[in-house]
Amino acid sequence: MSEARVEQQRPASGAVLLVLVGLGIAFALLVALLAAAKAHNGPIYGEANMLYAALVLYTGAATLYMGYGVTGIERYVSAASLLTALGFAANTAAVAQRWIVAGRPPFSNMYEMLLSFVWTLALLTLIAERAYKVKIIGSITMPITVVSVILMQLLPSEVRPLVPALQSTWLQVHVTLAMLSYAACAVSFALAMMFLIQDNMKTEGFQAITATGMIAVYAGMLITRFRSGNLAVTAYDLESKSEVMISRGHPLFIQIPDLGWLYLLVLLSAVVPLALYVVAQVKKDRSFFDIASKGMFVTILLQIVGLAIFVARVKNGRYGTPEAEGLYATAMPANPFLLAGIVGGIVAGMLYLLLLWRREGLQKMLPSADKLDDVTYKIICIAFPLLTLMIAAGAYWANQAWGSYWSWDPKETWAAITWLVYAGYLHMRITRGWKGRRAAWFAILGFAVVIFTFFGVTYLLPGLHAYAAG
Amino acid sequence: MGLKSISTKIYRTLASVRTGIFLIIVVGIFSAVGTVILQRPTSEPADMQRAYSPETLMWLDRLGLTDIFHAWWFLTLLCGFCTCLIFVSIDRWPNAWKVYANPVRFAAAPFRAGLPQTVKIPVTDSASALSVAERIMSRFGFHAERVTENGATGLFAEKQKFAVFAVYFVHFSLLCIFAGYIVDGAIGYRGNIRVPEGEALGQITLSDNRGVESKKALPFLIRCDAAGEDTYADGSPKKWWSKLTLIEDGKEVATKTIVVNDPFVYKGIRMYQASMGQSSTPKTLIFQAMPTKGTEPENVTVPMNGKATLSDGESLSILRWVPNYYIQDNEIYTKSVEPENPAVQLGLTNAQGETKKLWLLYDQGNSTKADGAPFVFALKGATWAQFTGLQVSAQPGQFGIWAGVVIMAFGLVLAFYTQHTRVWATVIDDGKGGLLLWVGGTTNKNRDRFQTKFEKIKAALLEELGGVATANKNSENTLTRA
Repeated sequence: MSEARVEQQRPASGAVLLVLVGLGIAFALLVALLAAAKAHNGPIYGEANMLYAALVLYTGAATLYMGYGVTGIERYVSAASLLTALGFAANTAAVAQRWIVAGRPPFSNMYEMLLSFVWTLALLTLIAERAYKVKIIGSITMPITVVSVILMQLLPSEVRPLVPALQSTWLQVHVTLAMLSYAACAVSFALAMMFLIQDNMKTEGFQAITATGMIAVYAGMLITRFRSGNLAVTAYDLESKSEVMISRGHPLFIQIPDLGWLYLLVLLSAVVPLALYVVAQVKKDRSFFDIASKGMFVTILLQIVGLAIFVARVKNGRYGTPEAEGLYATAMPANPFLLAGIVGGIVAGMLYLLLLWRREGLQKMLPSADKLDDVTYKIICIAFPLLTLMIAAGAYWANQAWGSYWSWDPKETWAAITWLVYAGYLHMRITRGWKGRRAAWFAILGFAVVIFTFFGVTYLLPGLHAYAAG
Repeated sequence: MGLKSISTKIYRTLASVRTGIFLIIVVGIFSAVGTVILQRPTSEPADMQRAYSPETLMWLDRLGLTDIFHAWWFLTLLCGFCTCLIFVSIDRWPNAWKVYANPVRFAAAPFRAGLPQTVKIPVTDSASALSVAERIMSRFGFHAERVTENGATGLFAEKQKFAVFAVYFVHFSLLCIFAGYIVDGAIGYRGNIRVPEGEALGQITLSDNRGVESKKALPFLIRCDAAGEDTYADGSPKKWWSKLTLIEDGKEVATKTIVVNDPFVYKGIRMYQASMGQSSTPKTLIFQAMPTKGTEPENVTVPMNGKATLSDGESLSILRWVPNYYIQDNEIYTKSVEPENPAVQLGLTNAQGETKKLWLLYDQGNSTKADGAPFVFALKGATWAQFTGLQVSAQPGQFGIWAGVVIMAFGLVLAFYTQHTRVWATVIDDGKGGLLLWVGGTTNKNRDRFQTKFEKIKAALLEELGGVATANKNSENTLTRA
């Protein structure tokens, strides 16, 4: 009897979330429609409205994908993938309109890059789901699209004219290829992690990876932004919606008092579980792992507190700096990389918790280890030629614009290092037959280098020197 | 140890994949180091002095870490890697060529044992079994040839055999790229030139990795006919353009209007729009002409290479322009090119064609001497010529780079999207007086997909030969996979 009752209940609990999400989307769209009809500002199908529709639909899809991740109810996936497809259509309409209005592909500023990135990510999610039957991938990618679209609402979105150096088709080819290849690298990373889960890697191992990632993020932030206990953020002029510049290319940094100490504390709290992990490995004593697990909770909680305080203090308040007179405001869009780091740390923590609590359920949902290993390899087989062409197109553009195809600038050098790492992966796989865990670690290393090339080179390397100079 | 064994040893070391991987990892590590430590050519010396203490900087310089990418040892590492790539390719070439040109066509017993995918099916008649196999293989795209060895007949088919060369294309493309880079490092150059509107210049300024400047003459002169900046409505720059004419041996040989991203290429030398600004060379000078007798003063604008006519019919021209002058031994010399304290020699020509030469010294009252002339002139202003800042580079090696990129793209397509697949068939003795049709195959990548395909071939064979096989009592057991 009890078994029958359980079977009856399961679809019912699935329906509750579906109905809630459906009602939520209907309500959000209706409210927006009424507001748009009342305001008479442009057509209903305008870019802003389409983007809003995409946000609502993607949020619904993300909720259902995550619902699938937690409960394993298959119905969620088909509904989520329908919502993703609808959101993708709206997203495409937004991209198309911007392209037509600007008369060029939308890649020239942060807002347009995110617009295209979200579009690519949604497309890849649909492809991964349809072609490779990796259903769980949406629970990682769709929350990223939602965060990106929200971030876009904060960024200045007007169509800006291009400065002369950026007026090149080759640059657009370069950026498109970069976007595609980095997105493919991200997918291969997610697949490699899933492989490690399927391959029965111990949960402690993931704990160590997560803690290492968090340490890297917070160490990076503190190295570049810690100013004797304060945290340096970019000053932002709320009137003109732009950063305050001291001189060309040098934004003004203001200091939020004492936030630096809080982030130092977060860093230490992430070091503790990793240290305990090392102790446990050396002493071969599993009891340390349990303490490390508790340490992970503490650091995730501290990070959430850190995010809340960051948001509160950025929103309300003006801050001073020894570099200039007076008090300045700041804003979330002025600090996209700090925000990305903090949110990224929390998301990684959440994924770790999901694994800790629902490992068996996850293993049932994921494709087999062999399949994941194979798909990781295939995705890298796509990413690598794209990476090669991306570097070549960049070199060709540099040659057209500046007269030099290669000048060992840090971004170029790190792009070459990324290329070498993936070349190494393919070499080992094809000639030495590296498969499974070794290959998965190689794919993870590759993506770590991609992240460094994308964020680290822009924010960490110059920051390192700025700090040394200051 | 003999010379020969040493050279063999060196060859073996260089022809090993392990050495190549070691070298490229070292290159990667030093490249990463080069992005963390400020590098000489890209960073200003002042920035470096601010970033590092004098002692640290001295040590970094001494260790060659401030200019890693142009250091001799870094280039040596790259060359070592190239050598390794060449030797590895040479070392493995005979084998690859053999697989391509002279493959194993008949699967003899030892060869059969080493294949990953095989099937054996009992048959009664050798000839009919082989023709069934031939038909089914061709249904799956394997068009087999018949081969005979020691009296036995077999089938052999292969697909996409050029896939074995993929690795050679990729390695060769890397060599092309490195070769192009080395050629440019050896004979390429890059410099800057500022050409004011209306002038023709042919000497560029090169600066080496330490920031030391030197001059280099181009084989032609660059004349800037016009230059300008277009802006958007909000005042931000939209387009920088310059109309350039090249003059070689006194003749105009080419002309083009360049913009950023669209350089002028002539005889392998490329000219890029790099900057734009106002030069310190005047286009026109504006004088106030004060008649020595009576009437009102008038303003007159004189072009540098032309003349202006005054109201009473006399014409005024500029004979000499010294932007910042000094006097030594009663002669006027140029102190600098900045127009801080100019001296101008004016020519005043009357209706009879007689020219009177007058000097105007800016800091000496800013006025010409009366000297019997009908006017006294004062310098009131100037309009300045635009200059166009060009970057001029000759990189003959870049064709190696682009060729390398194209070859690499081709090689990667071969490497990832083609696979060399081979299938053999023959009839063998089962050791108990019966006959077995043996079919085997192998591929150089994507083993899983080939396995699925081979399973299909196997199923088709069983279906066709099933009738023959049922004659044998133990057909189920004889069907084995090696």
